Amino acid sequence: MRPFVDVRSLRLRFETGEKDILSNINFQLHDGESVLLLGPSGSGKSTLTSCLNGLFPRELDGEMEGDIFIDGKKTIDYRPGELSKQVGVVFQDPETQFCMLNVEDEVAFGLENIGVPFEEMEEKIEDALELVDMQDYKESAIATLSGGQKQKLALACILALKPSLLILDEPTANLDPIATKDLIETIKNLREKIKFGLVIIEHKLDDWTDLAERCLLLNREGEIFNDSLLRTAIRNNRSQLVEQGIWLPKVAQFFLKDNPDQMELPLTVEEFAAYPSRFAFVAEKRISRNSSESGISILETRNIAWSARKRDIIKDVSLSIYEGEFIAIVGANGSGKTTLSRILSGIQKPASGSISLKGKALKEWKESLLRQEIGYVFQNPEHQFITNTVYDEVAFSLKMKNEPAETIREKVYEILDTFGLLELKNEHPFSLSQGQKRRLSVATMIVDGQSFLLLDEPTFGQDAQSNAELMRLLQQRHERGATILMITHDMEIVDQYASRVVVMNNGEVVADCTPESLWDKEAKNLKAWQLELPVSVQIKKIHEEEAYYVSTTS
Amino acid sequence: MFLQRLNPSLKALTIMLFVVLLAMIFDPITPLLFLIWTVSITFLFGKVAWKKYTLYFIPFLIFAFGMLWTTIIFADTPTNKDDSITLFGMTYPRESLLTALALSLRVLNVAALSLLFIFTTNIVHFILSLMQQLRLPPKIAYAVLAGYRFLPMMRDEIKIIHDAHRVRGVNQAKTIKEKWENYKRYSIPLLASSIRKAERTAMAMESKGFTGEKNRTFYRQFSIKKTDWIFPLIMLLGFSAAVIVSLEMGYLKLFS
Repeated sequence: MRPFVDVRSLRLRFETGEKDILSNINFQLHDGESVLLLGPSGSGKSTLTSCLNGLFPRELDGEMEGDIFIDGKKTIDYRPGELSKQVGVVFQDPETQFCMLNVEDEVAFGLENIGVPFEEMEEKIEDALELVDMQDYKESAIATLSGGQKQKLALACILALKPSLLILDEPTANLDPIATKDLIETIKNLREKIKFGLVIIEHKLDDWTDLAERCLLLNREGEIFNDSLLRTAIRNNRSQLVEQGIWLPKVAQFFLKDNPDQMELPLTVEEFAAYPSRFAFVAEKRISRNSSESGISILETRNIAWSARKRDIIKDVSLSIYEGEFIAIVGANGSGKTTLSRILSGIQKPASGSISLKGKALKEWKESLLRQEIGYVFQNPEHQFITNTVYDEVAFSLKMKNEPAETIREKVYEILDTFGLLELKNEHPFSLSQGQKRRLSVATMIVDGQSFLLLDEPTFGQDAQSNAELMRLLQQRHERGATILMITHDMEIVDQYASRVVVMNNGEVVADCTPESLWDKEAKNLKAWQLELPVSVQIKKIHEEEAYYVSTTS
Repeated sequence: MFLQRLNPSLKALTIMLFVVLLAMIFDPITPLLFLIWTVSITFLFGKVAWKKYTLYFIPFLIFAFGMLWTTIIFADTPTNKDDSITLFGMTYPRESLLTALALSLRVLNVAALSLLFIFTTNIVHFILSLMQQLRLPPKIAYAVLAGYRFLPMMRDEIKIIHDAHRVRGVNQAKTIKEKWENYKRYSIPLLASSIRKAERTAMAMESKGFTGEKNRTFYRQFSIKKTDWIFPLIMLLGFSAAVIVSLEMGYLKLFS
């Protein structure tokens, strides 16, 4: 049988690049086959997408060698736009995939491009929206949709064109865990309704594992170093996977931690639940949290509230934050997490209520002195960059204070060294990689000895390696006595690092306790707050249930 | 609502036609009458919220008044010095006053016509109709639409960058020069993210089969129906009536 996609010795290099982005890529995909394409950031995954949907070489500034056949015909022999009927792509960023203002126009846009007659459009639009369960939003403005809904709309736009191959280019990288699950569920349901081939590009494996068995692995040099079943790859190439910064499924990671040589690994919690006894399980040794809380309160808020456009974003929140705490703020999107953190850091003034830092009302603090106490790391690190080199970036706040040049040099070198940025000190901040940018933005926020650090989802959209690195640095900071407050969706981080967790729901604090006591709360509460248990807790619970079952039946 | 349902391209052309016609009239009576006509049409057939309308109209009023004032003050020496009008205890040459009134009323007329268009037209429909009736290339049309989507995103982003820089300890700008410096500093992150966004949008559009070619179909069909011609006719009717009344009163003065 002729393969639907046939890539033969593909090599690609950008005009500005010194090395090949992709080299010697060979693979075939059959009709309706699905495959996972994994690789670290910068391994050319997205470039490969552009090659498959015919954008490259047409729009490429650089050179491309080798051939790609789609349905037996070379991509370069398709007319511009024609390939969109064969290959559809859902991209990573939900904000930038649309050019119209409302949902039906956006779905229609693709149909208009391929010349579908006006009379047939209405029905096709409705069908496509129904496939992703968005029919109720047909006339909504795109700007009012959530990130997850936008990705489903992007999917509908592609499905309307009825492509034989669907490429998902990290579609969940900018979504929270709930929206991620929902999108994956939608795609699973689609597979039962219509037939299409699927290429899933990811660096996180969780939840995708039952959609595709086969997996292609790309390394940083842009070569495929593995083409086999995912399970085989994990068994045989595990060290390479980790080395390349590809996230193993959380469940697999959990088992590896205690038993690094284990061969058979469960890929999902369900798989473990079905045969708990098949997998060697070592009861978890709880890492003792460094509870360095001193009992000295540094920040106190009383009954703060804030609203925007007649909607209450924060309602009557009173919190005390003690020195040396590691606090995680969790909750659904739109529950007021970011607003709360901005109010706590003094960026946003509350509409009512009072905040005091070290016993003095926040509004009485002089802005420049306040910034020496509190650091705030924004979601997008680029927003915070001011100067033209990495060195100046870190030195900036010290220079503002007119410290002697020698002291500045010393301090900056020390920080850059800890953050692994010393070699890049003369680079422009914007030319760094995602992970480096993130580390730099944290570095700028602690160089002045700030002892209270707030971070807004610092691990979002980053690969495994940069995340581990960042968390190690934060942990180090915390051990030296810094107070850290971070917003996160990642329950593994909450479980591993936080000493206290604050749950927000509809602008209110609904829980404020240690992670352990949060995991013990009733399942229906956690569900209402859109929280998921961390994998280790899920497994422990399954294990306990199993043990209970065994002890009662025997 | 009759004005909202009009073909946007035809509406725009009509408005442009009357702006040109008004430029040829040099007496105050015609534009005054036509102004009343335009505003009445806007409210009768457009169901425009009068509060919003007034708010938008005020700047034009101020501008028109300024124009009136300067034209009177800096008027050429009139040919007929004795012919004057006394208003609010001041005496003006009749000729300068009439010219000044004509000019400022023309400004108000252009304002009223533009507001009629803006308040009764959906920008997306306008661009779609430009493609369908006036053969605007899709490349330009969809670029404008995508850009229109970007504006609110950029506004939000400037605010975030502003806060982010504040946290870094950048001084709060007080003078205009400092503010300018600050905006210069915002421009790099803003440009970087805008270019990236534009690139991604372009890629997404192309992968949905957009080529910029003219042979595309349309989900929202726009055409010029017979009833659409009522609007230019009504406007022409008002305009002719204004000209005739002005002529009867002996004011009419054409550009010559």
